[in-house]
Amino acid sequence: MNPLRKQRIYALIFILVGTLIALFFILNALSRNIDLFYTPTQFQESELGSGVLVRLGGMVEEGSLVRKSQSLEVSFVITDFNHSIKINYSGILPNLFSENTGVVVKGSLDEKDNFQAVEVLAKHDENYMPPEVSKALKIRK
Amino acid sequence: MIPEIGHIFLISAMVFAFAGGVFPAVGIFKKNAFLISAYKPLIISTSIFALLSFLMLVYSFSKDDFSLLYIATNSNTNLPFYYKLAATWGAHEGSLLLWISILCLWSLAYFFKTRQEEDKYRCLTFVVLSQIIFSFISFTIFTSNPFERILPISPVQGVELNPLLQDFAFTIHPPLLYAGYSGLSIPFAIVISALLTNSNKSIWARQARSWTLLSCSFLTLGICLGSWWAYYELGWGGWWFWDPVENVAFVPWLISVALFHSLLVTDKRGFFINWSILLTIMAFASCLLGTFLVRSGILTSVHSFALDPERGVFLLIIFGYFIFSSLAIYALKSNARESNQSYGLYSKEFGLLLNNLLLVILALSILFGTFFPLIYEGVTNGKQISVGAPYYEILILPFAAGLALLQGVALFLGWNTTEDQSFIKRILIETIVIFIVYNILVYVFLGEITAGAFISGLMFCWIVAGNLIDFFVLNLKSSYLYKAIIRRFSVILSHTGTAVLILGVGIVSSYSLENEIKLSKGEIYSFGKYQLSFEDISMFNQKNYESEMAIIGVTDMAGRKMTPMLTEKRFYPSAKQVTSEAAIKSTIFHDLYVTLGDDLGRGDWSFRVQIKPFVRWIWFGAIMIALGTCLASLTSMKRKE
Repeated sequence: MNPLRKQRIYALIFILVGTLIALFFILNALSRNIDLFYTPTQFQESELGSGVLVRLGGMVEEGSLVRKSQSLEVSFVITDFNHSIKINYSGILPNLFSENTGVVVKGSLDEKDNFQAVEVLAKHDENYMPPEVSKALKIRK
Repeated sequence: MIPEIGHIFLISAMVFAFAGGVFPAVGIFKKNAFLISAYKPLIISTSIFALLSFLMLVYSFSKDDFSLLYIATNSNTNLPFYYKLAATWGAHEGSLLLWISILCLWSLAYFFKTRQEEDKYRCLTFVVLSQIIFSFISFTIFTSNPFERILPISPVQGVELNPLLQDFAFTIHPPLLYAGYSGLSIPFAIVISALLTNSNKSIWARQARSWTLLSCSFLTLGICLGSWWAYYELGWGGWWFWDPVENVAFVPWLISVALFHSLLVTDKRGFFINWSILLTIMAFASCLLGTFLVRSGILTSVHSFALDPERGVFLLIIFGYFIFSSLAIYALKSNARESNQSYGLYSKEFGLLLNNLLLVILALSILFGTFFPLIYEGVTNGKQISVGAPYYEILILPFAAGLALLQGVALFLGWNTTEDQSFIKRILIETIVIFIVYNILVYVFLGEITAGAFISGLMFCWIVAGNLIDFFVLNLKSSYLYKAIIRRFSVILSHTGTAVLILGVGIVSSYSLENEIKLSKGEIYSFGKYQLSFEDISMFNQKNYESEMAIIGVTDMAGRKMTPMLTEKRFYPSAKQVTSEAAIKSTIFHDLYVTLGDDLGRGDWSFRVQIKPFVRWIWFGAIMIALGTCLASLTSMKRKE
């Protein structure tokens, strides 16, 4: 075989093997890091067991924010005006969190079927609403 | 009056850009010397009018002309003067105009840098650039005109610039980022023009390389500033969030890095010609994608500007036009014959091939993760998901390791084949020695050795051994040390910068401390090696915001009192928005980071306290990379053979 062809074949094999390995990594990593997004209605319908990490989006119901005194524990209710879910969270709420605005929470149900959030994301500016939330609210209407 | 003038200037620039994108090309086709040479006045007038139009917008901002819709929604009389100017690029319309202006500056720079080039080749380069400028200006004028008036009743007060953006780093972040994005239009134009005129690779490859390096340098700085801004302004202490918009800036960066490495081979050895051409097109495509994605609103991101389907279609047309026509030109015109020589496995060529493979696959897989939610939604009929940050974190590690391995030996590989392979043994020994020292230091100062610190430390030591230690040891014996360093300085600088960055990432992600706590006034909290005490909180009224400022006393382990830290929560009434101002005490080795949380009643407040070791190293490394690439660009522009 002439050296040029040999070299081309080497290069080709390398690219193929490299791509395959990469593809394996990518798909493997992807399959383990997908968070499903639900609206409160979809969430109730899906009847997920405890411990499954999901993202949940909706509006914070007016007057639902309760702060346990002398601790960082809070709870609030998010709704898509069809179903509502009570969320428990321990920590500092984002600056832009307020009642009657859209939020996305990440978390799961615990053994007593309470939704424990590990992360709360609020809109980024006053006009911004997470697209999933606005879409979900639109579908409802 | 001024805005109308600005608008007219912008329209004139569009007309000139259209002429510049069409007539000289017709001239080449018809062999009409007059039309061909018309590109010179056309590109200059396009640029000047576009820049003037931008200045008119800046001027209107400085004069608080709220009859302009764009200014009324993004500025306010109470805004400090400096931020009024920066508010020009605070939202979609103005930032597009900034993008155009910067591309015009690039075009002018390229114009004056290439005065001695052959006319036909140079002319076609500017035809391509004019077409890019034209499409962006027409997009601006037809879908997002910053000079739109609110008449007859215009507001007396504007809404205000997004408070998060009222910050120094933010004001220079977009110009730098756009300089990187739009700068990649230059190599694109060079390559298209070279394809059309069958230019000699020795001319275009070197030119494309120097301009790619320069854009990459700006892109690095832009991304670095964005990361730094997010770190101190958003109050979470994170420096990278794998947000779609960060990803679409990171992808062009990776591709442009691959590109200038590949162009090196094309320039010096005549290999990878087709690959370099395709990569140039890819780099430009990824920049368009980056610019557009931010604006189309199709991805869930904190950066998204307002949604507007009309804009999306327009952008898709522009994107399609450039990518399909350039690929068509490539398919029809590329007759590049790769060099007939061969190269061995232990050669620079092969090393750079691997480098390109790793960078491009990494870029594509990041892009894949970014778009996967869209694909998933399409396939599953509306089911929504998001791809979490761990996906990217798992993904990037093997690629980073591979690239670090290559960086360690980069200086020692020779073209074609590497005769003296003794360097591997030497670097290995040096790596082991400094790696042991490193582990001892980590153990002594940080208490334990985590996997992250171990792996990133290994990469760091390998790169440092290969780029600094062995290089010096080897060359100390010869009398050429000075010369050798100067010749390789930009490579050493940017590769070492990568090592510094990797170490920073590894350490900060495994040794950060974070806690959310409740403090009452006077309470003391010991955190890491610090004692924090909540001393006081009070209210201030500033020009355009109200501030609640907490004073946190800091005592270090030795019991020495340090300057107290001030952390704020600001309320901007006109924007109805709250922002946190973190208090950061930084040294080379770690940052102490305190953010004020919520009022818990009865004088208690919540706080988020963090210690971020080595976080500065990330940005410091990025700056080294930016300097290295900038230097490499300047030296390669200067060198004439």
